[in-house]
Amino acid sequence: MIGILKSMAVTMKHALDGKTFTVEYPDVAPEVSPRFRGVHKFSQERCIWCRQCENVCPNDTIQIVMDDQRNGEQYNLHIGQCIYCRLCEEVCPVDAILLTQNFEFTADTKDEFVYNKEQLKNVPWYKGIDPLASRNPDRGAWVGEGEGEVDYQ
Amino acid sequence: MVGGVFLQQTTTANASATTGPTLLPETIAGVLGGNGILVDVVSGFIAAFIVANIMLVMTAVAGPWAKRKITAAFTDRIAVNRVGPFGLLIIVADAVRLLSKELVVPDDVDRPAWDLAPIVLPFSALLGFAVIPMGSGLQLADPETGLAFVFAVASIASIGLVMAGYASNNKYSLLGALRSIAQNIAYEIPLVITAASVVIFAGTLQMSEIVAAQTETFVSVAGVSIPQWYAFVNPFAFVLFLIANMAEIGRNPFDIPEAPTEIVAGYQTEYSSVYFVLFYLGEFIHIFLGGAIMATLFLGGPAGPVLPGFVWFVIKIWAFFLFTQWARSAVPRVRIDQLIEIGWKGMLVLSFANLVLTAIIVGVIA
Amino acid sequence: MSKGESLPETTEPTTADDVAALIGDDLLDREEHVNAPGFVIRPDSVQDVLFRLRDEAGYDHLSCVSAQEYEDRYESIYHLKKFDDPTDEVSVVVPAAKDDPVSESAEPVFRTADWHEREAYDLVGIEYDDHPDLRRILLPETWQGHPLGLDYDQDRPQIVPLREHANPLQEDHEDDDGDTMFLNIGPHHPATHGVLHLETVLDGEQVIDVESDIGYLHRCEEQMAQQGTYRYQIMPYPDRWDYISAGLLNEYAYARAAEDLADIDVPEYAQVIRTMGAEMCRIASHMLAVGTFALDVYGDFTAIFMYAIRDREKMQDLLEDLTGQRLMFNYFRLGGVVWDLPEPREEFFEKVRDFLDELPEALEEYHDLISTNEILQVRTVGTGVLPPDVAKSYGATGPVARGSGIDYDLRRDDPYGYYDELDWDVCVEDGCDNYSRLLVRLREVEESAKIIEQCIDLLEDWPEDERTIQSNVPRTLRPEDDKEIYRAVEGAKGELGIYMRADGTDKPARFKIRSPCFSNLQTLPEMSNGEYVPDLIAALGSLDIVLGEVDR
Repeated sequence: MIGILKSMAVTMKHALDGKTFTVEYPDVAPEVSPRFRGVHKFSQERCIWCRQCENVCPNDTIQIVMDDQRNGEQYNLHIGQCIYCRLCEEVCPVDAILLTQNFEFTADTKDEFVYNKEQLKNVPWYKGIDPLASRNPDRGAWVGEGEGEVDYQ
Repeated sequence: MVGGVFLQQTTTANASATTGPTLLPETIAGVLGGNGILVDVVSGFIAAFIVANIMLVMTAVAGPWAKRKITAAFTDRIAVNRVGPFGLLIIVADAVRLLSKELVVPDDVDRPAWDLAPIVLPFSALLGFAVIPMGSGLQLADPETGLAFVFAVASIASIGLVMAGYASNNKYSLLGALRSIAQNIAYEIPLVITAASVVIFAGTLQMSEIVAAQTETFVSVAGVSIPQWYAFVNPFAFVLFLIANMAEIGRNPFDIPEAPTEIVAGYQTEYSSVYFVLFYLGEFIHIFLGGAIMATLFLGGPAGPVLPGFVWFVIKIWAFFLFTQWARSAVPRVRIDQLIEIGWKGMLVLSFANLVLTAIIVGVIA
Repeated sequence: MSKGESLPETTEPTTADDVAALIGDDLLDREEHVNAPGFVIRPDSVQDVLFRLRDEAGYDHLSCVSAQEYEDRYESIYHLKKFDDPTDEVSVVVPAAKDDPVSESAEPVFRTADWHEREAYDLVGIEYDDHPDLRRILLPETWQGHPLGLDYDQDRPQIVPLREHANPLQEDHEDDDGDTMFLNIGPHHPATHGVLHLETVLDGEQVIDVESDIGYLHRCEEQMAQQGTYRYQIMPYPDRWDYISAGLLNEYAYARAAEDLADIDVPEYAQVIRTMGAEMCRIASHMLAVGTFALDVYGDFTAIFMYAIRDREKMQDLLEDLTGQRLMFNYFRLGGVVWDLPEPREEFFEKVRDFLDELPEALEEYHDLISTNEILQVRTVGTGVLPPDVAKSYGATGPVARGSGIDYDLRRDDPYGYYDELDWDVCVEDGCDNYSRLLVRLREVEESAKIIEQCIDLLEDWPEDERTIQSNVPRTLRPEDDKEIYRAVEGAKGELGIYMRADGTDKPARFKIRSPCFSNLQTLPEMSNGEYVPDLIAALGSLDIVLGEVDR
């Protein structure tokens, strides 16, 4: 009986202290960490069409179409299929693809989640945070060349 | 002046009442004027309509809104606050949502029983309110066997649950129905016997008399007189009755007829839309009926200082509702065999002990 | 490690030659796996050999059964360990003929082999003689072919219409004479924590028999890993096995196996970060386990569930700061981690310390709410009993085993990461019941907090110029052909092992996941037969399974 009363005392204490843990989401936008990985942003100006991101992507989310002269034509990314592993951003030598902190996206059908390069370009920064700045100090640390000859895949 | 005539008739109606306070139908009959069966029937209907609507409004507030808010308070959340002030309009939104859903009728349900069950449950609870004195003249009837009537109609709910569980043609529903029967039988007896100890104190089954018997002063401490509420006179019986009542209305830790994590939703698994609303309604009215019985038997009914009687009555049954939600937040559900064991081996014995003890004490004093 | 009381004799064979001698005539060949010596035995003497290894050599833990198809043969590998010393491993390799892949079942020796062999039959196509119930386990009954076999045709229709196959739903479960009732609990049921289907036979409210039907969440994780490159593409997937915030622990399993396979060193600094991150995940995972267990017993989304979720949420915020994601971290890389601690470091340390400071108070509340609550004790003490010998036979690990008094924790017994440098204890309870498993989890949260605190202290004092988060690893890894490894780590739910076979390319030829939940779930009938339905639910909750990891 003591234990039950103790339990009830605990919950009553929480009820009376008036503190809440949840937030009113659309009004109070949550603070996301600078490293948070959200929807991609693509910059055609920077991209050198090396296709490394397409190559490293674990589940073929990125599709790149090039013409005969190896000029990039399309850059499609299915943000609903993406697993947000950030390997494309890691592997990109020119920071052409970045994962913003933007986690809010909606669509009526799955097809609408296939973003082309224009849509990817127009993805807004979340609260104006450029992820490059917050992640930059660590860049370069991850790439290993291994012993011996350099292997560019 | 017409009003004056009405007023006069009301006072005469008041004077003509021989025992107890004026009942609501009598008041209404007085307002309508005239005599005869027709007036009695009409005023009775109007009074019943008023009382039923009071309960339904309270249920509507309690179900979609208060329960959410209370649960949220216990779990550090905010809960509904978007629709209207304090989210109160969620009641409307919920009503529209629930009523506009499709009424799914599964194959092979036992049709008349399946349709009747959702009606039996809320109406058995509403019937109980017929004899409850709610203060401020709100009482439909005051038979001499009022207490027995309340328990009798409240237990009709079990039949509704069995009908629902059996007719649904669903194994979870059947399990829930059987559980609810086992539980109701096990806890009805201690409930009634504990209530009988109050009857020994009051010397009557009539609800208004039981309330009246509690108005006397129990003890007077520093000028403040504490009334002779049976909760103060016999706190042991009060606790027993509280526990048995929780089981009777199937709230935590005795909510095993529903037991969402075990048997999905028990007897109401197959119900949707309007039928589900009726079940939902019935459960809440049962909680309030439980609170009303508690208030009448142990907490002096509508008695209380300053505020009008009806307000006090509402406060008391809401306090009981709050208590059920509080228990829900912190007390785990017992297992069916443990529940039966507590009922037959614990509650029954204790309630009989309480009855005998009360009888001896009352006999010695009187 | 003062253990060894359960060993039959003190002179147990330890060297590979002793084991070979024990196997005797049944030995066909010897192999060398990275983790253990391999012994190729005759396919019709599996039971004999395993009995001998279990009873005479003390290999009492069948950790995993990895099946695979080669060009010229099928092969099942029984990864044996000792509960007293998991570093003492033996791989028993059982070849089977290509045209008629049959080998003897190990089920009579280790009951855990039941499901493992069913999985091997289902995915690879090896048939096991003497197996009590050789059916498909992950794929539907009507599936055509064995998807991890070499000749599997992706383009062929895989599910035939039910009229061409016995309808599994049509089976009449009603027994005319009996007074039992067949009840499907799940796949959609409030207490199955996912899509688990329990085929239950009830006598009144009592459970006569329960059989788990799994596979509803099978996502071909093994095959997906086989199609990814070692270096990058596999690492995001472990997060999705046990997706309930145990991501880093799962990544640790892959990182450990792959690093041992490819001889990669991990800088010490990265080890500390990994250890810290893994324990953070363990806390988050156990919080949810405690919360959902309470949910199963309480029956509503009430206070304790919400408080547990709230504390898990705080931990997830910390993990988000560290890894950039809240569940699917993808934080480890082979040879280290992807990021150093977030800048400013002091702020991060402070946040972690704040959490750790508040944790004892939160745990105190949990104890007030659940473990000292009499009704919860009545509900959980003595129910869902799992005796230690049964637990061992089923290969139960993690909190389930430790709640049954088995002192087995890979973090201590088979040290990896930075665990052996730190000061912490393994939590063991002897009650063998639901309550013990709950207590083990609650105590493990405290121990994890101790580990995190020590890691934080270490990281804070780490010299700035020695903060190497990754060693130099080639961008493409090609472990040499036919190199095999089985490595396990202590995941949130138990021993999470990975078997990999390299074939000289940059992708594994076989990738097998030994999921702790898969083995733990097998114990459910043992725990719940004869109990009431609510205890079945409580036992299931106390197992803390994640269907994503059971079905993979």
